[in-house]
Amino acid sequence: MRIVDWLYRGVLRAYPPEFRARFGGPMRDAFFDRYAAARTVGRFRAAVVLLAIFADLTASAALLRFARREKTSMNWQSIGRDVRYGLRMLRRNPLFAAVAIGALALGIGANTAIFTVVNGVLLRPLPYADPGHLAMVWSTNTAEHRDHDAVAPLDFLDYRNAAAFSDLQATYSFVVGAALTNASGSAEQIVVTAVTPGMFEMLGRAPQIGRPFTAAEVQTAIVISDGFWRARLGADPAILGRTLNVNNQSRTIVGVMPPDFVFPYRTMLGPSGFSRSMAIDAWLPLEFVSADSRSTGVASLTRAARFLSVVGRLRPSATAAQANAELQGIARQLAAAHPDTNKVVGVSVVPLHEQTVGTVRPALILLFGGVGFVLLMACMNLANMLLARSSARQREMAIRAALGAGRARLIAQTLVETTLLGCAGGAIALIALKWGIGALIASAPGDMPRIGEVRPDAAVLGFTFVLSLATGLAIGIAPALAASKPELQASLKDSGRGATTGRSQRRLRSALVSAEVALALVLTLGAGLLLRSFLSVLAVDPGFRPDHLLTLQMTVPARYQTPDQRRALYAELFGRLGALPGVVTTGGTTRLPLGSTNVTTKVGVEGRSMAVSEWPEIEFRRAMHSYFTAMGMPIVRGRGFASSDGPAAPPVVVINQTMARQMFAGEDPIGRRVKFGSAASPSATIVGVVGDVRHSGLEAPPSPEVYTYYLQGPPVNPFIVIRTSTDPASLATAVRGELQAIDKEISVYDVRPMTQVRSEAMAQRRFLLRLVGAFGLLALVMAAAGVYGVMALIVSERSPEIGIRLALGAEPSQVVWSVVGQGLALAGAGVIAGFAASLLLSPVLSAQMFGVRLLDPPTVAVVPSVLLIVAALACYVPARRAMTIDPVDALRM
Amino acid sequence: MDTERFLPLTPVAFEIMIALSAQRRHGYEIMQEVERRTEGRIVLHPGTLYRALSRLLDEGLIDELDERPDAGVDDARRRYYRVTPLGRAVARAEAARLARQLSAARQAFRRGRA
Repeated sequence: MRIVDWLYRGVLRAYPPEFRARFGGPMRDAFFDRYAAARTVGRFRAAVVLLAIFADLTASAALLRFARREKTSMNWQSIGRDVRYGLRMLRRNPLFAAVAIGALALGIGANTAIFTVVNGVLLRPLPYADPGHLAMVWSTNTAEHRDHDAVAPLDFLDYRNAAAFSDLQATYSFVVGAALTNASGSAEQIVVTAVTPGMFEMLGRAPQIGRPFTAAEVQTAIVISDGFWRARLGADPAILGRTLNVNNQSRTIVGVMPPDFVFPYRTMLGPSGFSRSMAIDAWLPLEFVSADSRSTGVASLTRAARFLSVVGRLRPSATAAQANAELQGIARQLAAAHPDTNKVVGVSVVPLHEQTVGTVRPALILLFGGVGFVLLMACMNLANMLLARSSARQREMAIRAALGAGRARLIAQTLVETTLLGCAGGAIALIALKWGIGALIASAPGDMPRIGEVRPDAAVLGFTFVLSLATGLAIGIAPALAASKPELQASLKDSGRGATTGRSQRRLRSALVSAEVALALVLTLGAGLLLRSFLSVLAVDPGFRPDHLLTLQMTVPARYQTPDQRRALYAELFGRLGALPGVVTTGGTTRLPLGSTNVTTKVGVEGRSMAVSEWPEIEFRRAMHSYFTAMGMPIVRGRGFASSDGPAAPPVVVINQTMARQMFAGEDPIGRRVKFGSAASPSATIVGVVGDVRHSGLEAPPSPEVYTYYLQGPPVNPFIVIRTSTDPASLATAVRGELQAIDKEISVYDVRPMTQVRSEAMAQRRFLLRLVGAFGLLALVMAAAGVYGVMALIVSERSPEIGIRLALGAEPSQVVWSVVGQGLALAGAGVIAGFAASLLLSPVLSAQMFGVRLLDPPTVAVVPSVLLIVAALACYVPARRAMTIDPVDALRM
Repeated sequence: MDTERFLPLTPVAFEIMIALSAQRRHGYEIMQEVERRTEGRIVLHPGTLYRALSRLLDEGLIDELDERPDAGVDDARRRYYRVTPLGRAVARAEAARLARQLSAARQAFRRGRA
């Protein structure tokens, strides 16, 4: 019912405003009464009635509009007649009408669906007040060429002095799992982040119930999301004042944010910030403390640790560039005043909208362009079909002209007919839109920012309407012009048999077909390059064996406070898991490749004189139990960790090959000693070098990594990996059961086979490839249809000539070759034009290329060949017909 | 009363006048009544109906009722329409015109058959 109501309101907009104000309400009632009555009969009946009502609504709206403008009333009456006449003509050619409307519905529908995504993700303003004046502030690292680092708390407080911002607030640059303990004492995992009090006010969004938290309540208040309120708290309207136990701290609910409020988006977080479950359940107030603290909701005042995402509201007079310049000045002062921490730290200001959706823009533009090409090809095919029909209808047009119809009337007649086709296609596209968008969203990568906000709105409706009209007019222009200058004498005298077309018209049709082949080449080349890139990514060795590997994340209950308690827990855990049938090896880590965030630490090598500020930042993980063996990561030098590397033993680390190469070029790293974070920290000995893994993504080259052992620092939030001898998914229940048996407060989540983690890492690539591949296939089919159509026409026109040739003794094979050759010449011209167009359009694709060059030899060789073969096959049917022409028959024509 | 300048009525307008001449009705009732009386041969959709109603209102052939029959029982938003005296006269004139046309046609066709 809702989508119907929404459609109804859309169509109502086409009515003149006075009419809408006067009759909109009663019309709506009558409309729904009728629809409801039809629904009681059945779904099919309801659909038929709905179609009839919408056609009637649209026609009435058009008549009212025209009637208002043209008081003299001749024109709109004639258009009304044209509409009726057009409908009659379409009804007389049901096959043509069905093919044309079907093709247009497909083309317009695909465009509308993609536009809905583009609109929801790229075009619609972010769900904040005046989002155009919001910007993000990042730290940069000039030594390591990073421009997207999170901000340190003390730097953030200094940046607040910038005059370009009227307000500057911060959030954690990551989201975290927190334990929500209920009255019975069992815990569940919720997703939270912390924001500075004042963030909601700065974003300009008030809670739907209650109020934002204040600076005075940093330890006691919490604001929850609409989703959490509905799913877990039963949408209780009297929720304010209820307390939640989050991470063993009791907090009072002071506000519930509205359903459309999203903050932060995944793309607003730092490199360490993403998590698959991005729906935030609650926001904690961020408290700055001077002590060193790791607890959730707290930020230690430091310049050494960078973990804030900073968002600010620019003053109306200030631009992002001005703010950038001003903050750079502040950053330079900080670098001079605090060289230990800030020597290489700069700053960069990015508009918030760009920050949020900038990364998906290239992919969406690529899709939008591709689907536009598909519609363009459909239009060219239909224009061609209509041209063929218009030559067949020349007699009819000639008679109308002879009876006094002016050229404008004849053009109008054709355009009205094709516009009807376009509108019918658009109407069907709108009806199917809900399913189309559903399918698109389902196949889109889950981490695409704002994909959850994609829904049809007035802009989509307007786009479809304009596109339908434009499509209708576009396919009509060439046939309308052609039909409007019939050669009266010739047409009327001609008995109607084998009506020939003019030379200019044939040239037009040939040009259309060549252009179609060119578009098809661009699309199929694009699809080919995407496929090759996909295969390159698929062939990347991730550095571990993803098959037969089960992964999960767990949170250790807060009761296990001391390292010893956690060591005991892990001893039991790995003991139990290892004893399960089907389990080969077990291990764990704090950062799972392809499936989790990153964290870095500064690493210094003992015996080298280097200031702490210049120590390189290295990615840091902990390995648990037999992690390297379970993952299938080879030890290339030295040894892996062993149970003898316990809490009392000397601290040891294992580094990866990239770190060995970058930090110990030409030296043996084994036995060298390193320090983390500061010169005062205890040093650890490198005992082994392990193989590189692709951590951030299959396409990103490995970074230097260092591993410590869990017995020398047991984590609280680890990933567990289990190498199995059977299907890993089949062990999920048993594994979960073992963990719950140890302690029912252990929360277990994201239980997935590693193959699935790897597959999700390719989700965006797969999404693009599927869609562009489908566009490419459609393009091939349409190019074939276009070539077939025009060659069939050419053969029927050349019949007398071919007849003479055959009569004079030409071999049938010569005839076939002459026809196929003519078709291939058209296709060849298209291929050349298509190559030129591809080179022009290549920047659109460059962001998606991996491991292939633009002029990838296999793609460049195969795609045009396939296209030419398809074109040749499409010529073959008309060519065979040419071969069988009876010379006598042909000459009589 | 000069009824001639309103003639001929469009078939839709005439059907609406017939439906309203017996009693006041709201939009959906008009649609139902026309469909019932013509046994489904004429189906009015909201777009056509309200365009015709707007025209008839502008020409003063029908008017809108302020008071609702059975106030409180019915949806307050519904608007009821009834035929004005001018409308009644125009409808009669149209009926007479059609009757003349019909008898002319009958005569002509009878002669044709003979």
